[in-house]
Amino acid sequence: MSVNNNEREVLLSVNHLEVTFYNNKKRFRAVKNACFDIYKGETFALVGESGSGKTTIGRAIIRLNHTSDGEILYKGKKINGPLNKEEKLNVVRNIQMIFQDPAASLNERATIDYCVSEGLYNFHLYDSEEDRENKVDRALESVGLLPEHKSRYPHEFSGGQRQRIGIARAMVMEPEFIIADEPISALDVSIRAQVLNLMNKFKEERGLTYLFIAHDLSVVRYFSDRIAVIHKGRIVEIAPTEDLFNYPLHPYTHSLLQAVPMPDPRIEKSKELVIYDESKRDFSGEKPQLREIRPGHFVFANDREMREYEAKLSEMEKEKKTV
Amino acid sequence: MENKFVFVKADASASEHIAAPKYSYWKSVFRKFFSSKIVIVMLFIAASIMLFSFIQPLFSDYDPSVKPNINDQSLKYIQPCLEYPFGTDNVGTNMFDAIWASTGNSLSIALIATAITTVLGVIVGAFWGFSKKMDVIMIEIYNIIANIPFTLIVMVLMYVIGRGKWQLIFALSCTSWLSTAYFIRVQVMIIRDREYNLASKCLGTPITKIITRNIMPYLTSVIVTSVARDVPSFISYEVFLSYIGIGLDESEPSLGRMVQNYVQYMQTPNASYLFWIPVFLCALISISLYIVGQALADASDPRTHMI
Repeated sequence: MSVNNNEREVLLSVNHLEVTFYNNKKRFRAVKNACFDIYKGETFALVGESGSGKTTIGRAIIRLNHTSDGEILYKGKKINGPLNKEEKLNVVRNIQMIFQDPAASLNERATIDYCVSEGLYNFHLYDSEEDRENKVDRALESVGLLPEHKSRYPHEFSGGQRQRIGIARAMVMEPEFIIADEPISALDVSIRAQVLNLMNKFKEERGLTYLFIAHDLSVVRYFSDRIAVIHKGRIVEIAPTEDLFNYPLHPYTHSLLQAVPMPDPRIEKSKELVIYDESKRDFSGEKPQLREIRPGHFVFANDREMREYEAKLSEMEKEKKTV
Repeated sequence: MENKFVFVKADASASEHIAAPKYSYWKSVFRKFFSSKIVIVMLFIAASIMLFSFIQPLFSDYDPSVKPNINDQSLKYIQPCLEYPFGTDNVGTNMFDAIWASTGNSLSIALIATAITTVLGVIVGAFWGFSKKMDVIMIEIYNIIANIPFTLIVMVLMYVIGRGKWQLIFALSCTSWLSTAYFIRVQVMIIRDREYNLASKCLGTPITKIITRNIMPYLTSVIVTSVARDVPSFISYEVFLSYIGIGLDESEPSLGRMVQNYVQYMQTPNASYLFWIPVFLCALISISLYIVGQALADASDPRTHMI
């Protein structure tokens, strides 16, 4: 089940990333020592409750947030901290973002034509005016919109349509890596699948890599290849999707998975909820860190916890086998 | 039996079609602006006063320092009539000529001062709202200047640089752009971190383009509001300064000088029109320009365009 990660190309690598926000003299560490790799062509999901630092990590990668420590490597090149103009533009060309709120992420005073071609204008990615229009038409068509929408304004569209305009705007730049910051959480349930399928279509067609930021685990299970669970700015567990759902090790992951509502009312009623309470945990022993317990499955633990998790994991594996 | 049903092919794009008529920003602004009758009346008043005060003086050759009829007793204190719509004063001046020339001069001072204030204020304010370094310096300058009464600054400046039209325009616009800039700064700070501006940043849009394409269109109504407030306030400043004798000098006509000249007739039964006509005109300009400006500010806010 586990993937041999050594054979795959690492597209983005986050090492010991720290993001700190300052409010006058007060410091708030939004992201603490985050380490993960994203392989080319996969969908890497970042899940956690609100305020856990998921979006902060996404924005740090695309240079909207300053990093206070650590490094972000894109294809082996550092992309955080001070960069020269060319390197900055290179980040923009290759990494694009899909935003959470389609109502807020489009310029209400500009036509769809301008919204979609904004990036093209900035990099002059077209040969002639005709070429630009063709590109915009194709981008709109690829997300299921009509060329006649070009002269319309964002407020005339529905939420799902707007989100697709946001996707078209990112896709027209022909990026390699996309950060999708809760792209469907503001959408109506009936059109979530449409947007996800669209994203999957682009992934297959263009070999894209996604960083998918979400808090809805049922969507993440459907959409992503690997999952990182983040709690209070710290990544507590990273595992391939099925491993994480079958063998959740960290107590926080465990309670996060339990919070997913079951479609069966009988199971839902008898379900015993475990609320993660940090104050009740035993933190004895040396400082914990992210360790690999099975190939590709990392958990935030120290030696003592590692032994506990190991025992728990073998037990769960045995149980699965007997079933 | 005849089959009245026809097979229709499924058309996926049909659901994407927008049935609403095409939206055009400026068309909607016009429609909204002209939807109120009071505004149309006020616009008519403001426009005719402006036209009159800029065109009529071209034909009248009125010069306040020349008093050709000073010795003709029959031309003194003529009540408003057909030949002299606004009457004549103690030296036989045709008040119709005098008042339009004064209004024109006062209006042009207010309009030029407003133009300087707005252009300078908006440009400085836009960059002020974006740059943290600039903010540190500018906020101190603003704090110092905003705490000195504006009237005091203008009066001191007028004493230092002397009386005159261009001196007055300089004195009025010298520090007033700071408050416009501060006003714009706050607005820019409110909308600069909205998600669509972050999206533009992610697409590599430079700051100047973000200001012109993303921020400024949102500020149209705010800027129009500030203009609508500035024009009447500059007119009243001109009137006030000329009234206390430090605005314009004798050779230049203005509403303030009119009020100052004829304030003595306020209680005189047969000549009170000399005082009340300029006062009334001054009020009329201020009110009509303010209402038109406010209506334009409302109309230029797209939130009012939804029916």
